[in-house]
Amino acid sequence: MVTASTLLGVAVDGLAFGVVLALLGVSITLVFGLGEVLNLAIGIFAVLAVLAARTAINSGVGLAVGVVVGLVFIGFVGFVVDRTLLRFVYRSTGEDRILLGIFITLGLAVLFEGVLINYFPAQYGLSLGVEPISFGTVVLTGSSLAVIALGGVALIALLVFLRRTFLGKATRTIFQDERGAQLVGVNLRRIRTFIFVLSAAVAGFAGLIHATGSTVSVSTGFEFTTFALIVSIVGGVRSIIGAIAAGLVLGMVSQFANFFVGSYVATIILFVTAIVALFAKPEVLS
Amino acid sequence: MSILDAEHRSIWIVAAVLAVAPLPVLGSSYYEGILAHMLLIAVLAVALNIVFGQTDQLFLFSGGLAGFGAYGTAILADWLSISAWITLPIVALLAGGIGLFVSWVSAKRNFSVVLIAILTISLQFVFSEVFVGARDITGGSTGFRYDYLSFDAITAATGLGSKLVVYYAVLVLLVASLLVYVRLVDSKYGVAFAALREDELAAQSIGIDVVRYKTTAGFVAAFLIGMTGPFIAKEAGYILPNEFSFFAIDVIVLIVLIVGGLRTVVGPVVGAVIVVAIEQILAANASSWRTAIFGALLIFLFIYFQNGVVVSVRERLERSELFERYLGDSNAD
Repeated sequence: MVTASTLLGVAVDGLAFGVVLALLGVSITLVFGLGEVLNLAIGIFAVLAVLAARTAINSGVGLAVGVVVGLVFIGFVGFVVDRTLLRFVYRSTGEDRILLGIFITLGLAVLFEGVLINYFPAQYGLSLGVEPISFGTVVLTGSSLAVIALGGVALIALLVFLRRTFLGKATRTIFQDERGAQLVGVNLRRIRTFIFVLSAAVAGFAGLIHATGSTVSVSTGFEFTTFALIVSIVGGVRSIIGAIAAGLVLGMVSQFANFFVGSYVATIILFVTAIVALFAKPEVLS
Repeated sequence: MSILDAEHRSIWIVAAVLAVAPLPVLGSSYYEGILAHMLLIAVLAVALNIVFGQTDQLFLFSGGLAGFGAYGTAILADWLSISAWITLPIVALLAGGIGLFVSWVSAKRNFSVVLIAILTISLQFVFSEVFVGARDITGGSTGFRYDYLSFDAITAATGLGSKLVVYYAVLVLLVASLLVYVRLVDSKYGVAFAALREDELAAQSIGIDVVRYKTTAGFVAAFLIGMTGPFIAKEAGYILPNEFSFFAIDVIVLIVLIVGGLRTVVGPVVGAVIVVAIEQILAANASSWRTAIFGALLIFLFIYFQNGVVVSVRERLERSELFERYLGDSNAD
């Protein structure tokens, strides 16, 4: 018999995974919403941040500094990618741009994976060393609580940024009407660069907090990308709030499926959920 | 159209060249295996040329479908205790059914190319998870020996090596898929595909059944991919989830198609020859950088050669010839 306290433990783990998924979903949604570029390298960006942080920590700096190094590094990678490769993508329009975006970021993901596997062949984690916390009979994973706290703050900060600041408002304007935004004087290219860097950092942050509770390897990158993709399709590809909600729901689904049926079947349940969602509500998506 | 027109002629030439291609390496099962692998990649590229090249449906689960064909053929043969030669077409039809379903839903729901890409990449991930995870039936990451699709009768009768027989079997499959491609493109299907690519709405308004044409392309491509998968495992002699991963199949097939040229008849074959040659050079000199180099290649090709390397080079040659002739004429004046 499964006790309520065990279920609560699973729910907390699910929420933690959901926060990671939400961040990944938001980062892919931001870039797609802004310029129709589906960034298939998003997963490897998340892994890259973890590897940079791990390398920094191994060379002697503390955990917090290491995390900052990881974020700055991935932001810089995002900047370089935007200024070089995405230049070619934004030059084309319509269907061409979408295809070019898919293939160039796909090539980038393959390139990063192929390079990184030579230097980072193992599993890497960033353990916080937080003990499990117990409330009476309920025992919760310490790292899950930390992930929820950190990720939750990041998500709220993102929402506040998008709703309250000028830059955020300009971004949302482009989401809604690219031409209109240009007409009122929004500098499209600069905002795209900024959002791409932001999205890389958000993905990096997702990877970093995920790595506090488990480990990542180079091949986790593709897994992260597929997770980000299903979150964004369930959430509605262009909706930030949708991506957050979808991430949280799918995280729960995944952990509960993992708990009750285990292993690869859980992954299948997760994807079937996503695909059913895709079939069920087409109008938001096309 | 006749079986001797220009497009068919190019298929027969390719078939003839490929039929004698193993002669220089006869007896070396290593090189015969590589040649067979090259043809397998070419068939997959022909399939992608149908569904992506002709109808713009970006299927990113060729690896998953091929794996479905390979695992399915073997597992079904074991369950029913019948020859894999009987289960092969059944499983290929099922794979075709998956392609048909994906295309049908995408067309019905008016999915953009991005959504089809996301949907199929998700399916690819699911397939990979099942190949690795369903250990009881797939052998998990350790796989199992692939003795199915026996050619013993042929090898015994002709005395040819088993790899060579696999090569010729795949060559038959390749020629058949090229003929299917030409047959499709030269029929009313080809006209409809062209209309769909130009403007789907306009095509629909003049009475072209968009859903039907897209699902046909999806079915044919997925059927061919499902048919090819078992031979990939057969050629390797062993089945492993890695043989059917996104990076092992889809990335390579995309590069092949772009190198050879989208929507050209023999482009997939030319692309496969070039890419497998590059693969072999890398395997000999820089095997650990193979993935990285293919990633870089993918980026480079899509930025500079979207219409296909072979097509671009040919166009450039033709233009320079015209240019010279023009210059020559003006000099004569």
